[in-house]
Amino acid sequence: MKKLLAVLFSLMLLSLFACGKESDVIKSGETIKIGFLGPMTGDAGNYGKLMSQSVKIAVEEFNAAGGAEGFNAELIVEDTEGKVEKGNPAIEKLAGVDKVFGIVGAVFSSVSLAVAPKAEAAKIVMISPSSTHKDLPDKGKFIFRDVMSDALQAIVFGKYLAKIDNVKTVAILYVKNDYSQGLAMDFKAQYEKEGGKVVAVETALQGDKDFKTQLTKIKGTNPEALYIPNYVAEIAQILEQAKQLGLKTKIYSADGFSNPQIFELAGDLSNGVIYTQAAEQPASQIKKDFEAKYQAKWGEKPDAFSLNAYDGAKIILNAIKTTSSKGMSGVLKVDRDKVRDFVAKTKDYDGASGKITFTENGDLVVNIGIYTAENKKFKQLKMFKLDGEKLVEIK
Amino acid sequence: MNLFNIPSNELLQHLINGLTLGAIYSLIALGYTMVYGILKFINFAHGEILMAGTYAGYYFYFFLYDPSKGATYTIGIFIAALLIAMTASALLGVIIEKFAYKPLRKAPRLAPLLSAIGVSIILANLAALFFGTKSKKFEYPFDNSSMQIGGSSITPNQLMILAVGLIMMAGLKLFVDRSRLGKAMRATSQNQPVAALMGINVNLIISLTFAIGSALAAVAGVLMALEYKVYPTMGTMAGLKAFIAAVVGGIGNVNGAMLGGIILGLLETFGVVILGIPQGLKDTIAFTVLILILLLRPSGILMKNIREKV
Repeated sequence: MKKLLAVLFSLMLLSLFACGKESDVIKSGETIKIGFLGPMTGDAGNYGKLMSQSVKIAVEEFNAAGGAEGFNAELIVEDTEGKVEKGNPAIEKLAGVDKVFGIVGAVFSSVSLAVAPKAEAAKIVMISPSSTHKDLPDKGKFIFRDVMSDALQAIVFGKYLAKIDNVKTVAILYVKNDYSQGLAMDFKAQYEKEGGKVVAVETALQGDKDFKTQLTKIKGTNPEALYIPNYVAEIAQILEQAKQLGLKTKIYSADGFSNPQIFELAGDLSNGVIYTQAAEQPASQIKKDFEAKYQAKWGEKPDAFSLNAYDGAKIILNAIKTTSSKGMSGVLKVDRDKVRDFVAKTKDYDGASGKITFTENGDLVVNIGIYTAENKKFKQLKMFKLDGEKLVEIK
Repeated sequence: MNLFNIPSNELLQHLINGLTLGAIYSLIALGYTMVYGILKFINFAHGEILMAGTYAGYYFYFFLYDPSKGATYTIGIFIAALLIAMTASALLGVIIEKFAYKPLRKAPRLAPLLSAIGVSIILANLAALFFGTKSKKFEYPFDNSSMQIGGSSITPNQLMILAVGLIMMAGLKLFVDRSRLGKAMRATSQNQPVAALMGINVNLIISLTFAIGSALAAVAGVLMALEYKVYPTMGTMAGLKAFIAAVVGGIGNVNGAMLGGIILGLLETFGVVILGIPQGLKDTIAFTVLILILLLRPSGILMKNIREKV
């Protein structure tokens, strides 16, 4: 009797083990859960609101088109308030309680970096629509993003200034936050590698309004150009004070400059500033349709990150639909590894944000545009792509 | 270290930058020091009173601003905006004193201090709620193209800051030293009960002190706004720095506040340039100075070292 029990028990254990290993099973009548992770309340609440609305549309479209083998998807929205300490319990819930198959998020780089290892361990495909920190895609096989990496624009700009614009000396003035510092350091490394000379590196704190001391020191080094990869509030102050101090150099910046508020704050001083941003994609019908749908449903316009969120959700849902199969007694089998592999193979996907292709480590393949501001409008001048080490212009 | 490597024109430029920064600190510091002189209490809502007045001036100016109407018109509305900012701040200062500090005048010293911090939080958040957190541009009332002096540049606005600062401080000095009300103010600061016995209306003098200090802060606020824009937290850091300036000069001492402001402005600028302190640590200079002064000369550089029971 004892022996029989032991055999039975070990058989049970084995079968349990086998079940967990293979693929997740969704019983008939249940839903395929995916998550959205982002700030829904607090200072940054609007970012999360806009993006989660996109994901909702993607889920509704998926269900309207019949779902996966008749199984509907369900969206679970978790609020991070943009904070790491709220992001951790949120990912625990999504992974442990809801057992989601994919996550669109997180929104801020700091939160994405914190939750990525947990998504990786639970084999949840995570596509961030807005975290630009260069280290994020390296956090794991299941971690992707469909937004441009900060490092990429800095590298392209370093090459562009040294080789194409032939600027010999640059001074850098950056504000000490992850975004500006990351860009400044990556740019400096690349520009110096290409033979350019960085004659001054000055810093400031977030929220500083007076940059005259730094600019006076920079003026003393007589650089050909000034690189200011900051946000508009600081850029406007720097432009104005540089002019007051008679600093007459070319001004270069990054995509932080692309907020239209710059025209309000800096006026004509914004003319002629040259900066990098993801290259403009030809306006597609998909984008127009999505924007119209979003406007009709939510009564507001989606921002650029919301387009990314929509595409990310569609890619995840499409992968689930393609790789899952009907099992015995009407269950749906979803294999997390297969979902991940399918997402990783995404190439030239026609999304609302443009064509999406992932690199080997899950970063977005993107062309970089060189832009300028002219009479209160942004204008793309040139477009480049990085081919290995080489900068190639796309005509 | 690299003191001798700095070219003279660059040195002059830093001097100009430091002096204008200092003049603004001085104007704000006067409010702290006058209130402390009379009530022995630090009005930590001073920076927010500055911000509120600046918003009042900004909106007045913003709605009437029209470059097509010529320079005289623009300067006219700018002066009017300045006066409105001063009036708004003065009124707000007096009202806050009546509601938040006067009921606590007999309470332990910590109570009005906490009340002041509460008022400052309320004001900053109300401003964020009503005016939004985005910076707003206060257009220059004149062409602010810089002029060259010996290889350095100075802007008309910097000149205006220095001139207005000087006029305001001289005016205040005359008022406090020469006028009857100024005399009553000094008497109240020395001994309130005795001043009251001499027939001085102490409550009126206290209100007047708040009004003058707040109006001076509004002037500083508008001058700052031209350079650094208008936003809800504009008074917070400036207020803290000015408080340090007041302590450096000797809190309660009007001359000290003016001197302390200028010293702090120059220290911040030259500390970065000469000592090679990274600009990111600029604010550290001011707070280090505060700690040093409190340790070595707690009553400030201008005060006689009288021990006081606190």
